[in-house]
Amino acid sequence: MMKKTLNIVLAGQANVGKSVIFNYLTGLHQHIGNWPGKTVGKAEGTLHYKGYTIDVLDLPGIYSLTTYSLEEIISRDFIALQKPDFVVNVLDATHLERNLLFTLQLLELERPMVLCLNMFNLLKEKGIEVDIEELQKTLGIPIVPTIAIQGKGITKVLDEGIELIEKKKTTKPLEYGKEVEEKINQLTKVLTDIDFAYPKRWLAIKLLEKDKIVEKLCAEKNPQILEKARDLCLELEKIHGHDSSIVVADERCHLCSKIIRRVIKVVRPRQISFAEKLDFITSHRIWGYPVMVAILGLMFLVIFNFGNWSSSQLGKIIFGWQAKWESAFGASVWSSLSWSAIQSALALVEIALPYIIPFYFLLFLLEDWGYLARVACLMDSFMHKVGVHGKASICLMLGFGCNVPACLSCRIMETQRERLITGFLATFIPCSAVTVIILGLVGKYVGMAWAFGLYLLVILTVFVLGKLTTTVLPGEPTELIMEMPDYKTPNLKTIIFQTFFRLKEFIFIAGPLVIISGILIRGVYLLGWLSKLANLLSPITVKWLGLPAICGVLLIFGILRKELILVMLASLLGTTKFFEVLTPVQMITLSVVSMFYIPCVATIATLRREFGWQKALTISLVKILFAITLAGLISKLLSTTL
Amino acid sequence: MKNELTLVNLKEGENAEITNICAGWMATKRLADLGLTPKTKIKVLRKTVMQGPIEIEVRGTRLALGRGLASKVLVKLV
Repeated sequence: MMKKTLNIVLAGQANVGKSVIFNYLTGLHQHIGNWPGKTVGKAEGTLHYKGYTIDVLDLPGIYSLTTYSLEEIISRDFIALQKPDFVVNVLDATHLERNLLFTLQLLELERPMVLCLNMFNLLKEKGIEVDIEELQKTLGIPIVPTIAIQGKGITKVLDEGIELIEKKKTTKPLEYGKEVEEKINQLTKVLTDIDFAYPKRWLAIKLLEKDKIVEKLCAEKNPQILEKARDLCLELEKIHGHDSSIVVADERCHLCSKIIRRVIKVVRPRQISFAEKLDFITSHRIWGYPVMVAILGLMFLVIFNFGNWSSSQLGKIIFGWQAKWESAFGASVWSSLSWSAIQSALALVEIALPYIIPFYFLLFLLEDWGYLARVACLMDSFMHKVGVHGKASICLMLGFGCNVPACLSCRIMETQRERLITGFLATFIPCSAVTVIILGLVGKYVGMAWAFGLYLLVILTVFVLGKLTTTVLPGEPTELIMEMPDYKTPNLKTIIFQTFFRLKEFIFIAGPLVIISGILIRGVYLLGWLSKLANLLSPITVKWLGLPAICGVLLIFGILRKELILVMLASLLGTTKFFEVLTPVQMITLSVVSMFYIPCVATIATLRREFGWQKALTISLVKILFAITLAGLISKLLSTTL
Repeated sequence: MKNELTLVNLKEGENAEITNICAGWMATKRLADLGLTPKTKIKVLRKTVMQGPIEIEVRGTRLALGRGLASKVLVKLV
């Protein structure tokens, strides 16, 4: 009986165009979620091809199958244990050598495999030729050149994969050097009679690499295996003078170089391309910084101008809807509550359309172009002073758009500790909603210099708190190891896809909570408890912060969405001429509180998803205390000096 | 060994060969997976100011390594 459903996985390193291929194959029929119980993204999709229903799983972009990060363990376990029908290994043809290192590790897992030599068109530009036939012969698996962004060659990959299945072809791992190979064979023999879900040879290799997880697995079955492995490791170390894990890795490197020498031909000497000239300026040790400030500054300028314009357009459209609703359904409690649900949903659109979409779009544009890696590199030394490495700067940048994606993006950090620190710091970044407050209140009525000062305060806060948390939290900081991608022409389709899926994620996480809490607060309002709450808070708001009592209400609404603080201020005070009712000091104090006092519900929900309730609530509490203390001090200080 | 050079000591544009890596198991493994093993030839492309990362070319790819990690990669000039 022929199987009509196929399970395939896409595997490859970062920046090889894997997601482009995934999008091409599955289009909008994809489901993005989490691996069960883990905060690692899982992207699945389905397509129909030549009578087959093919389930495609996009494995996280990784460097190796050694136990370095959660992503890597998940990937190797999936391939070894779930036994997908075949693996599509996507490679960047222009960086063949490093990509092949990963391919060799995949081959060790002994699943049928098709090699997808992507970005094949860029080889010519680089003056390189790849002898595909020779490579195919050496590796013993089908190889298909593709140009993913043009959709070229991708169906051929499927054809080759299906042929592998139909002809029941298997994949054989490549042989390493004699000494290592001999040790592998000895270990494989020891493992023969024991039942393992993983391939025996793979286990043997991992034992020589001193892989902790595999060591534990084998020790559970028979502790003697470990002893034997240790002996063999020692023998290897004696011969080579390095740790056996390095010896094995070196075997792969060596084999790779050998293959590369056979299949790659440089037909034209390297010329300095435009991309390289661009790189020279943008990553320059000095010029890189002004260029970065200019690029990012321009980006934010575009976003806020577009945001201002489009949100006022949206405001015009939505204006008067509430009156219409009330005239249609009356002003009963239920009508009022259901309107607040609609209002919350509309508010999501009002923040998503004008700010979040353009923000994501431009950010993914920079990423696809290759610039974000440069930012991470340029920011590394600064971020190190905070206690995390340069990649964290990307998460923090995302925070300026919205804290939700910022917290989600912390997954790019390698360890749980660094994810938590980065997530915590990201909640201190003023998102687009907070920026509306800062610019609308302080920028407009106190002066742009003061608004700018508040941003400096943010940077200072992140710096100090980062320093503090990295000292308090146990663990060692990880160092930056990052590939610098070549600059390439951004692909519009990829960017739109990414923006779309990120937006969907945002709405799914934020939506329900924003709507529920919108109804809740409206309920409190209808019960007449708002002013009571405001009075309850007045020791803090009036006495300590020196704000009008009404601000207590604002801060409660602000938990929902920060920009409500400004909207409610206008409606509660009955004027948008804030300078008539608030002193400059009060405006600054209110802004500082709004910036820091609590993550909005959507962000709290994200923090819970990423780090659990306990940490999410701790972060919220710390932020409230921090904001009240800081704003109170600033208020007292400014009152005496101004 | 005396006069041990590390990646940090190299100047921009200098070519070198890795002699040893003296980092923890994880970091060493990570570097090895990226193709940085003893006897690998590398070239320093760029050094950044203020103790920032060092950019090197290795096996046709460009990598940025944090300064702390780079200081654990021992090299000799070639």
